[in-house]
Amino acid sequence: MSSMIEIDPTDAAPIWRQIEERVRRLVFAGTLAPGTSVPSVRELARTLRINPATVAKAYQRLTDSGVLQVRRGEGTFVVDAPPPLAAAERERALRDGAHRYAATALAIGVSPTEATEELHAAWASLTSVQEVNP
Amino acid sequence: MNNQASASPVVAGFDRVTVRYGKLVAADAVTLSVSRGCVYALLGRNGAGKSSLVRCLLGQQKPTAGRALLFGHDAWRTRRSAMQRVGVVPEEPDMPPAMTAAQVVAFCSRLYERWDGKAVAERLRRFDIPMQVPVERLSKGQKGQLTLALALGPEPDLLVLDDPTLGLDVVARKEFYEELVGDLADRGTTVFITTHDLAGVEGIAERVGMLRQGKLVLDEEMETLKARFRRIRFGRRPAAQPAAEDALGAMGALRVAGGEWGFVAVVERFGDEGYGRFASESGVVEPEARAMSLEEIFIAVCGEERGGES
Repeated sequence: MSSMIEIDPTDAAPIWRQIEERVRRLVFAGTLAPGTSVPSVRELARTLRINPATVAKAYQRLTDSGVLQVRRGEGTFVVDAPPPLAAAERERALRDGAHRYAATALAIGVSPTEATEELHAAWASLTSVQEVNP
Repeated sequence: MNNQASASPVVAGFDRVTVRYGKLVAADAVTLSVSRGCVYALLGRNGAGKSSLVRCLLGQQKPTAGRALLFGHDAWRTRRSAMQRVGVVPEEPDMPPAMTAAQVVAFCSRLYERWDGKAVAERLRRFDIPMQVPVERLSKGQKGQLTLALALGPEPDLLVLDDPTLGLDVVARKEFYEELVGDLADRGTTVFITTHDLAGVEGIAERVGMLRQGKLVLDEEMETLKARFRRIRFGRRPAAQPAAEDALGAMGALRVAGGEWGFVAVVERFGDEGYGRFASESGVVEPEARAMSLEEIFIAVCGEERGGES
């Protein structure tokens, strides 16, 4: 898993939050399957060359929110049934994505209508045309 | 004066330390403290006063005024006993060049009351350090690893690293940090590090101090530091300049540069609200705020000697 996590020093989010969100996404995307073991704090800190306290903080938050679980003497694992993303978090992820897309659209000078059409098209291709415009 | 009791006990620090060499003021009333388990990075350009402060902390130099503190006591007076609990990686490895690594290890092990010979041997094996070769024939990276292994030998309560990765290549630097992080994980060592490798310490240091011409101009948690600095890029129409400028000023703009192609401002008090106000000014076009790396922040704070202290 270590190789799936990257730290971006120019990301506005603190490193522990970057790790937390990355792990969360890997879990919800199914890349980290339920029951998979995650690297120890020491191992991940060494791989990323960051302070172990930062990794510990991310793991603690993931444990508190029921994404990871610590099994004494065995290590840390993805729980068997991870909880769904919290509403606030879904909203934030959606807003972040929308913001990035809107910025791109603005920068190349397309109209909101054009941008929206493109979004629908992307949606359609990803869901292989199961829903047409609402 | 204001010795507030903080959450963790202070392991090392400076209490209004001033160092003068004739007329030159190398350190100017520097006060800072490193609490237990913290990794503190002291940054500054060459000649900013880092080395003088390190020497004071290690009891190698008596400050002109003020006190360096080790474990709550005056470092100069208690250096003999205090240094038993301190591991040091000096800027220039100071091992006798003709001695072999094995001889240096044996020598150092006798200097300390506490010495984890097994851990030292393991570490040196891991790094493939040839033990029977004179130290002068080791590569820079190997010398660095040897020095770190020796510094960790006495299981120190405080690790003082004086620009430890200077001159190391990328791989040696990576190994050095891995080893340091491993020790942090295993023992929670307190670390005081001076360095020019800002990218290297960015994820490791929890607190940062910046020295400029002997003065400590910044001393804060890495997280709050990174949260309040932003680089803002924007275009602007000539009309509504004053309002935009005010909005930037309210965010503590350190400087604004640019011309017809657009502007870049570095602000030191970024906030969503203040930025929202700036971005919605009618004269401002396509603003974009980006978080800054430690290196970028350092350059903004210490890079240019601009007149006018804030």
